Amino acid sequence: MDLNIRIAGEAGQGVQTAGDLLVEAFASIKLHAFSTQSYMSRIRGGLNWYDIRLSDAELWSGCEQADLLVALTPEALEELRPQVAEGGLILYDGEAPDGVVGMHFDDLAKEAGGNAIMGNAVAAGAVFGLLGYDLEQLVDYLGVLFGRKGPEVIAQNAACARRGAELVTAHAGRLTAPQPSDGPQFVTDGASAFGLGACTAGVKFVSSYPMSPSTGVLNFMAGMSERYGVLVEQAEDEIAALNMVCGATYAGVPAMTTTSGGGFALMVEALSLAGMLELPVLVLLAQRPGPATGLPTRTGQEDLQLTIHAGHGEFPRAIYAPGTLSQAYALAREALTMAHRYQSPAIVLMDQYLIDMHRNLPPLDEAYRPIDRALTSDGGPDYRRYALTDSGVSPRAIPGGEAFVVCDSDEHTEDGHLTEDLHVRVAMVDKRLRKEEGLRSECLPPELYGPADAETLLLCWGSTYGPCREAIDTFAAAGQSVAMLHFPQVWPLPAEAVRAAIGERRRVICIEGNARGQFASVLRESGALSACELLTRYDGMPFTGQEIVRRVSP
Amino acid sequence: MSDLYDHTKATWCPGCGNHLIVRALDQAIERAGLDRHRVVLVSGIGQAAKLPHYVREPINVFNGLHGRAIPPATALKLANHELEVIITSGEGDMYGEGGNHLLHAMRRNVGVKAFVHNNQIYALTKGQASPTSDPGTTTKLQPYGVVAGAFNPLALAISQGCSFVARSFAGLPDHLEEMMVAALAHKGGFALLDILQPCVTFNKINTFKWYKDRVRPLDSAYDPFDRARAVETAFAWGEEIPVGIIYRNHRASYESQLPILKAGPLVGRYEASVA
Repeated sequence: MDLNIRIAGEAGQGVQTAGDLLVEAFASIKLHAFSTQSYMSRIRGGLNWYDIRLSDAELWSGCEQADLLVALTPEALEELRPQVAEGGLILYDGEAPDGVVGMHFDDLAKEAGGNAIMGNAVAAGAVFGLLGYDLEQLVDYLGVLFGRKGPEVIAQNAACARRGAELVTAHAGRLTAPQPSDGPQFVTDGASAFGLGACTAGVKFVSSYPMSPSTGVLNFMAGMSERYGVLVEQAEDEIAALNMVCGATYAGVPAMTTTSGGGFALMVEALSLAGMLELPVLVLLAQRPGPATGLPTRTGQEDLQLTIHAGHGEFPRAIYAPGTLSQAYALAREALTMAHRYQSPAIVLMDQYLIDMHRNLPPLDEAYRPIDRALTSDGGPDYRRYALTDSGVSPRAIPGGEAFVVCDSDEHTEDGHLTEDLHVRVAMVDKRLRKEEGLRSECLPPELYGPADAETLLLCWGSTYGPCREAIDTFAAAGQSVAMLHFPQVWPLPAEAVRAAIGERRRVICIEGNARGQFASVLRESGALSACELLTRYDGMPFTGQEIVRRVSP
Repeated sequence: MSDLYDHTKATWCPGCGNHLIVRALDQAIERAGLDRHRVVLVSGIGQAAKLPHYVREPINVFNGLHGRAIPPATALKLANHELEVIITSGEGDMYGEGGNHLLHAMRRNVGVKAFVHNNQIYALTKGQASPTSDPGTTTKLQPYGVVAGAFNPLALAISQGCSFVARSFAGLPDHLEEMMVAALAHKGGFALLDILQPCVTFNKINTFKWYKDRVRPLDSAYDPFDRARAVETAFAWGEEIPVGIIYRNHRASYESQLPILKAGPLVGRYEASVA
């Protein structure tokens, strides 16, 4: 069974801090915890909420209704009360109206000998009480969380948690909660998972201009700077950011940038530069709804076509779209590896939903295991950076060694100098595009989940993996045969293999967080798909498993 | 085979100041005792930006996008601070299209040497006004004369605390070489060398003679560390144009202040770089 807790309040009230604390606390007692965030583009005020779904089995998606609403403001109570499930409870920070459990978290924290910040511990204690979980295990977790702050802070937080739990015992309402099972202790989020993947794979230089929802990755990598030897530079603009990444990769250092759609739009010329200079740049694009500034703190999958077509001229690129946190970690490495193997840009598409998602999962490997940069050491006086080869991949040397490394954004000869010789031009275009064949041959295959012979097939890419997977499980439990095919890599696709994987079905439904079905277009254009139904969402909110079941059901 | 596509043959007009600048650069690199394997010439787009292809002996080259010489040069220096990174590009590239990067390079004070060929005109695009064109200059695109004021690179650089600010003239080859050698010897961060240069095809006002009659090397008593005096000198333009090291200060370079680079260049610590 599962249960959904929704913590809601104004920006700046500590909704996220309280949510993060509870996710970790639930993981510490071996529940499966999964959180998503909905917040407005402001630093103070408004209405933000943080959902934590709990279960005794692995979770893949958020859900629409809340079983327990923790409302920190009157607006949160008013706005979100209609979404409380039947039989659900409401915990309110203040004088409670009928049917609501009320308590002043901050005042109680002070009464219990703490300070107002410890209101979070009071709330956590109250939540543990209402769900019937062992309060001593929460106290143990607070001991770990505040371990570095000393025994006094630990004791104060413990007292606050106990006070919160005590007060709810007086209240009649209780929720039937999932029991702790085999939930892993390790908790991470999308930004950290991708960031850790990049750090452990050997990214040494990050240059970005901050932009929601990508900034979490930048912050994570800055925090890991010393541990993994990563130089993080805040660029003056996105144009500088990707041009810097080009300079760093030319120097031999694996490098990346983080951005969202609007920032990526400014990087497009530099992406073309990386294509022309054959530099292994890595771009993390955390999508949000556009056009223009759009909805800065919401989610969407609207930039697939942008990334496929970005950059003037024709050059290869690889585009990845992780569906889970462990995939975000793994694809950071995969993208960096392929970028280096084919000396071409690699782009990873995430989105606000996946970037901000927190959950517990088996630990990600933190060991430093740098990828092969695929450099040549035998540069000499005759070294040619763009030597023509069958694979299109030329020996890559870096400056500072024996070889002189010459590169030019103009069309160039094998030795890198600009040329207007049109025969050379054609040879160079062909050489660069041969690398696309290599990339296509190494394209990650889509993952089939559900019965192979299902009559109905859901196609999805990127962060819709989880909601689709939950939908498949729901269908299976109801005896309905529905399968899904998830694409962790969306470009360049091997059309024949994809066509075979889709197979002959009664219904094929492409599920996307955009209005036009961008991935379905890509599949059709490549010849992998003839026609399909579209199931789209573009209001800035993520799909849920329940929603997909409802909308797919005949 | 015809030499139509021979990249070693400069495509500049006969008499262009760029021929003198590339010669001065070759000599300055030699005089500074630099190992050409450890030098990278970075440029954007424009006539001046083609310079890295025309140097005397092979060298590392990063010829990037228009206006974007500074970002890759900055990153190159941060990725491998043992390389000497020299930008050679025009004023359209550095003061126009890439103006924002110039501001931030000076703020960072990263150890990149920027040699800006300033001919007060856009040449590769065939004769439009540049940021440094004097007001009143007429072109095909500005038939009634340039209305906007001229960009003052030196005054801007001084105001931003740029650690080395100099000006020279392509028609004073010895002086130019001297300034390049001084910039290469500067270890305290970003160096800006503005190089006045006639465009023999599109700029009929600021000719060799025009510059020659006006440039005045600073005398030995001039103290470039005197900021107020430097600002005054930077604003001198007209009958007399001072050339020389206009301003210097004692800021530390960006790369010397980053804890992450204390253990050596990033590029050298790849295989096992976990601290």
